[in-house]
Amino acid sequence: MSDYEFDAIVIGSGVSGGWAAKELTEKGMKVLMLDRGRMVEHGTDYPFEGTGAWEQPYRGDTPPALTESDYYASRYGGAGQTAVKDFMNNDRLNPYAIKDGPEFRWVRPGIVGGKSITWGRVSLRFGPQDFTANGQDGHGVDWPIRYDDIAPWYSYVEAYAGIAGSKEGLTHLPDGEFQPPHPMNVAEIWAKERLEKAIPGRKLIPTRVANMTEDKPEQGRSRCQSRSQCNRGCSFGAYFSTQAVTLPAARATNKLTLLADQVVTSLEYDPTTKKVTGVRTIDANTKVAKTYRSRIVFLCASAMASNQILLNSKLEGSDKSFANASGALGRYIMDHPMLTVFSGNLPQGVHADLIEYGRKPTGVYIPRFRNIDGQDPDADFVRGYGCQGGGHRDVANATGFGASMKEGLRKYGAWSVGFNVFGECLPYLDNTITLHPDKVDRFGVPQALFNVTYRDNERKMMTDAKVQGEKMMKAAGLVDVYAEERPHIPGDSIHEMGGACMGKDPRTSVTNKWNQLHDAQNVFVTDGSALSSTSCVNPSLTFMAFTARAADYAVKQVKAGVI
Amino acid sequence: MAHDHNPLLDPQRLDRRSLLTGILAMVGGVAIAPIARAMQAGMDPGYTVEKPYMTDDQRKLTAAVSERIIPTTDTPGAIAAGVPAFIEMMLSEWYWQDERDLVMGGLTAINAFAQTTYGKPFAGATPVQQDAILTLAMDKQLTGAPADAFEHLRQMVIFGYYSSEIGCTIERVYLPVPGRYDGAYPYADVNRVFSS
Repeated sequence: MSDYEFDAIVIGSGVSGGWAAKELTEKGMKVLMLDRGRMVEHGTDYPFEGTGAWEQPYRGDTPPALTESDYYASRYGGAGQTAVKDFMNNDRLNPYAIKDGPEFRWVRPGIVGGKSITWGRVSLRFGPQDFTANGQDGHGVDWPIRYDDIAPWYSYVEAYAGIAGSKEGLTHLPDGEFQPPHPMNVAEIWAKERLEKAIPGRKLIPTRVANMTEDKPEQGRSRCQSRSQCNRGCSFGAYFSTQAVTLPAARATNKLTLLADQVVTSLEYDPTTKKVTGVRTIDANTKVAKTYRSRIVFLCASAMASNQILLNSKLEGSDKSFANASGALGRYIMDHPMLTVFSGNLPQGVHADLIEYGRKPTGVYIPRFRNIDGQDPDADFVRGYGCQGGGHRDVANATGFGASMKEGLRKYGAWSVGFNVFGECLPYLDNTITLHPDKVDRFGVPQALFNVTYRDNERKMMTDAKVQGEKMMKAAGLVDVYAEERPHIPGDSIHEMGGACMGKDPRTSVTNKWNQLHDAQNVFVTDGSALSSTSCVNPSLTFMAFTARAADYAVKQVKAGVI
Repeated sequence: MAHDHNPLLDPQRLDRRSLLTGILAMVGGVAIAPIARAMQAGMDPGYTVEKPYMTDDQRKLTAAVSERIIPTTDTPGAIAAGVPAFIEMMLSEWYWQDERDLVMGGLTAINAFAQTTYGKPFAGATPVQQDAILTLAMDKQLTGAPADAFEHLRQMVIFGYYSSEIGCTIERVYLPVPGRYDGAYPYADVNRVFSS
């Protein structure tokens, strides 16, 4: 298909990169996939899968001194668990300029597969309102596509990945190609029945997740075994990960070359052809630099890392990125504020004879209900939030010591139902990622510097969520209702997005409606960096859909000789 | 460095574990595996204290206190579950200095009170005397003990016990691969807590 060693280079092997590799190889392209992390093979490299606490160092808790020195950001992604730590970035070895801007928690993985091994697996579609919001309320750049453009691609990735969920018929949280949902427990059913009766229109539904409830023998994957230890890796392949799903598919084509430990530092750009001609790498172990060449490049390094790579890809003789003719590169950085929490208990005695058998890898979800049909008259903010939670029954709290305490700890306390809120963050031009002027990492790459803050709209929204949350818990018949708004630190929800936002106008956006750089038509940016707004739902499923769609378009363009 | 050391990857430990399995097989295959392991558990807390932190007397004291907090009943207690060694390991390798001082300060005060009041170290006191001292500590009435010391110690014993193999598999019911989820399961069918 081309004069290059590879038809395509995929940078990154997480949720987006894995899909890019699968789609491109299955469409006949010879693909090189690069990841800066170490190799993790499915099954064999999940050392703590299925281990008891007593079999884990420090019974599963990373020593705090080590967390503080080496995992100061990735601790917010699970590095405090010894079973997860080695999947995460070592922030001491691979730092960013965390001290030089307002606090931004950049949680990174350190492995092939990226965050697809440790992600939360919640898989929700953006709704039609999400693609029109920017254009309607004037924040950020209007999306160059609408829901109908992406809907078939959601179906495509859902069917393959295996998403469990219930069809609810909600316009703003569209249904998809679902396996049966994970069953609700008695506390969740209790809350659902009462909430939906007390507040007509309000919904409490099983969370839609990429943990399968039916086998996919054709992919060698089994349904969820209710261990809920997903972030240690799952040999059953019960949840979507690169290792379990997209990598085997790409490998089966015999068209994939996967190289771990390859740090992509920048892209080589030819201003005459307006194309990227090479991908510059440094081997993380040997420090040997190398440039790989291909006809097209899929940039899927994770939202912020893709920004960093683009920002570091300078026009010759300039300190300006080739991808930044618009001046929009690295702008509109977003995350979901998530630390409004609310909960309540079932009244004493209710379902006291019942407990949970097995561990469900998910819970329940209250879809967005604010500003759905136009602006709510009592809302002092635009857009909305969703609430993610679940019902549980924990061990009773036993006081004292001795045989009576031991006996007390054989009992369960009350059923509780609790949630945290994910709010939509508006795209702000001056919420940025830039390159630090002086600080570089051990590969000579300027460190990422974040200037990202939540503003008035996010604060008002999350305060409203606390009020509404308390109201809903009471309406659901729960007692001991508790609601709190904790400080929201950008990065916390690990849903960082933006910086290479899609738009129609090359003067105000970085990528076009096909995730293609306006400034280099052979580069497709398909991770979270290309999203023009965040919706309030967890975004990974959307990265999958955009990646599959862009790969389809890219291959057609290559075959047509356009790129 | 100690923090990077992964006991699971320690070949000596693996050898020791296989050896243990061999011994049990020789003794006879009739014992239920977790019970058999419990018999040995005092010898095998699941790790080695690499950087000893306590004197022998402090170890005896820690063991005695742990066993009173979670005693042997119809299931093994804290000593069988390896809790004392767990506490020493955590103090040595995991805790910050102020937390070490808190716990050791509490233990020291407990022992000093036993010596003064009963004329013998805590480990040598009767269970009734031991419980009286621990009750004082719990009520923050123990001379010389940091106020939060007992609660901290109590939490360490609880965590150490219920995260041990005995705690997870004998005291509680361990489901490594449940295979299904039931959100309306009768407690009466198990009468215990599921560990994870």
